[in-house]
Amino acid sequence: MRINRLSSCIYALAIVLMAGAGIVARADVAPSAPTVELKDTLAKAPTTSALAAGDPGGVLTGTINDVPVGDAKAGLTLGDVANQVGQNKIGINFTWTLICGFLVMFMQAGFALVEAGLCRVKNANHTYMMNFLVYTCGLFAYWIIGFAIQMGGAAGIGNLGGAQPLNSEHLLPLFGTDWGIFGQAGGFLAGHPYDVGVMVVFLFQMVFMDTALTIVTGACAERWKFLTFSVSSVLMGAFTYPLFANWAWGGGWLAQLGSKIGLGKGYVDFAGSGVVHSVGGLTALAVALIVGPRIGKFNRDGSANPIIGHDVSAVMIGCFILAFGWFGFNPGSTLGASGAGCLRIGSVAVNTMLAGCTGTLGALLYMWVMKGKPDASMSGNGLLAGLVAITAPSGFVNPMGAAIIGFVAGVLVCLSVAFVENKLKVDDPVGAISVHGANGLWGVLSVGLFADGKSNYGGSWNGVTGSVTGLFYGDASQLVAQLVGIATLVGFVFSFSYVLNWILDIFIGQRVSVETEVEGLDLPEMGQLGYPEFVFTAEPEYMKAAEAEAAA
Amino acid sequence: MAATKSQGKAFTLFLTGLTVATAGIAFFTSGSGKVALVVGLIGIAASFACFLKLRPLEGRTAEGTQPAIMKLAGVALALVGWLVVLFGLHLTASVSGRMITTIVGLAITLVGVIGILPVASSKNAIWKA
Repeated sequence: MRINRLSSCIYALAIVLMAGAGIVARADVAPSAPTVELKDTLAKAPTTSALAAGDPGGVLTGTINDVPVGDAKAGLTLGDVANQVGQNKIGINFTWTLICGFLVMFMQAGFALVEAGLCRVKNANHTYMMNFLVYTCGLFAYWIIGFAIQMGGAAGIGNLGGAQPLNSEHLLPLFGTDWGIFGQAGGFLAGHPYDVGVMVVFLFQMVFMDTALTIVTGACAERWKFLTFSVSSVLMGAFTYPLFANWAWGGGWLAQLGSKIGLGKGYVDFAGSGVVHSVGGLTALAVALIVGPRIGKFNRDGSANPIIGHDVSAVMIGCFILAFGWFGFNPGSTLGASGAGCLRIGSVAVNTMLAGCTGTLGALLYMWVMKGKPDASMSGNGLLAGLVAITAPSGFVNPMGAAIIGFVAGVLVCLSVAFVENKLKVDDPVGAISVHGANGLWGVLSVGLFADGKSNYGGSWNGVTGSVTGLFYGDASQLVAQLVGIATLVGFVFSFSYVLNWILDIFIGQRVSVETEVEGLDLPEMGQLGYPEFVFTAEPEYMKAAEAEAAA
Repeated sequence: MAATKSQGKAFTLFLTGLTVATAGIAFFTSGSGKVALVVGLIGIAASFACFLKLRPLEGRTAEGTQPAIMKLAGVALALVGWLVVLFGLHLTASVSGRMITTIVGLAITLVGVIGILPVASSKNAIWKA
């Protein structure tokens, strides 16, 4: 026993001595390998004189010389290099997100061309002006309050440096759980939100909001009073859109459905089939119901007359501009190209492309087979429908799923246009309710069906670990979360928009006078014709009769 | 009447009122924030008074007066359906149970939105006359 104790003491002493020797050895150690490597690289870096000779091959530019040194006395350290790596990551993500935002901004031009092209020549200026002013009205409203409501509590966007100043979400305790209702930081971008990361978030989210607003102008074209349109757009940019966007993207209650009550990963909408397109499409339905159909659209027996747009070339060019801008919409919604699974941007872009393609095919084949002609405007709407539908699932589905989603959207838009016109008796000159409303809802639903569980953006979504997985890949609860989102869009967003615009109808009046509508809105509302040198051709007989009847 | 100077003035007043009111909300913790909110709300109210004053100057529109009660019923049903969905989530923790209550709520909502409201909105449509 005594021998055992003695041997234990000797063993312990030996360990202590060895450890001490180790400490001494570490104190005397030469510079670590990475530090030596840094010095070597620095020594081999191109000199000023070498750079002065020019660098046609591009091999001397962008070296260790370009890494900023924190402390000149210490020279370049590993810390400096690590800081530069971090800055590069955020710089790449800022650049990516901003450029994608610029692409989305350009979609406004596409919307203007599509909507004006599908309207009559006598309303061209008015339609273009609505699409032009909606950008300004929306941006202003979003800056003063909309952004705060939407993103005021959305702190923690790692790809963009955190956006930590956006840290105030109003919570509503219900059934023993705190649910996010609206954000409170970021009004006027003043105070702490005066932050580089927050600015990038603002720009990107603003152009999305503006896309939603401009959808309404299409459905209500050719009879919407400009004053009421202006006020309605400001209110939509300030309240309607930001509220739902907060619930889905700003840390609100829909996003919390996964973390709080175990419904999949919560409501999931990658780039906004619901947040942008359904909100726009359902608001368009609400306003179109209030503003009523154009003179001559419906006959006494309820049958609908076609009112042909004036410029199919503008429509087609507009559709292509929109498809181009969609590459900012969907891939940009990763909010970065570096880190946290952002390399999915390739997959997101291909899914977007494929769904647009199959959407066009779906609509074109449907019209050709059922109606006998490959209709140009419906083919364009098919392209847009496919793009709208893939917007929510683009980050979570495989190319096969994207193609199916797009094709269904292309057929759905044709059926929906007929349903809206013939059953609901709602006049939608450009098909906005069907393209954005119906297919936005289909896009939201399709996440709950087709998400394949392969995409993992940093390990979790909406604070729930794992990848978004739909019903066809084993998670039925995700489908329930998506259905709750759809019910909220149809039940709450539509109702909110309807009541808001009903109030405006009472105070301002949504519709122009009969005289203005018959004459065309360009001169009475805007003071200038869209095409002053055009020779107007006579309208069809049924239009003349309907106009005379309305005037009487 | 189409677009006029009076409309432009009323819209300017509305935008100014909304800007001041939202500034009041953004800086509500300060005394001047509260004052701004009140002033802004007064501005918005004044702009709506102007809108209402201008409304009769507008000529007759190609739109009949639709039954308000029916429109309210449509909106109410849409909201009730949504509330059924929300409360249904807390009735049961099972996925299938929640799926059923959500679909029932959604169906109620759709009756209001595409069943009642379009009928209400075209009840007295001029194209029917």
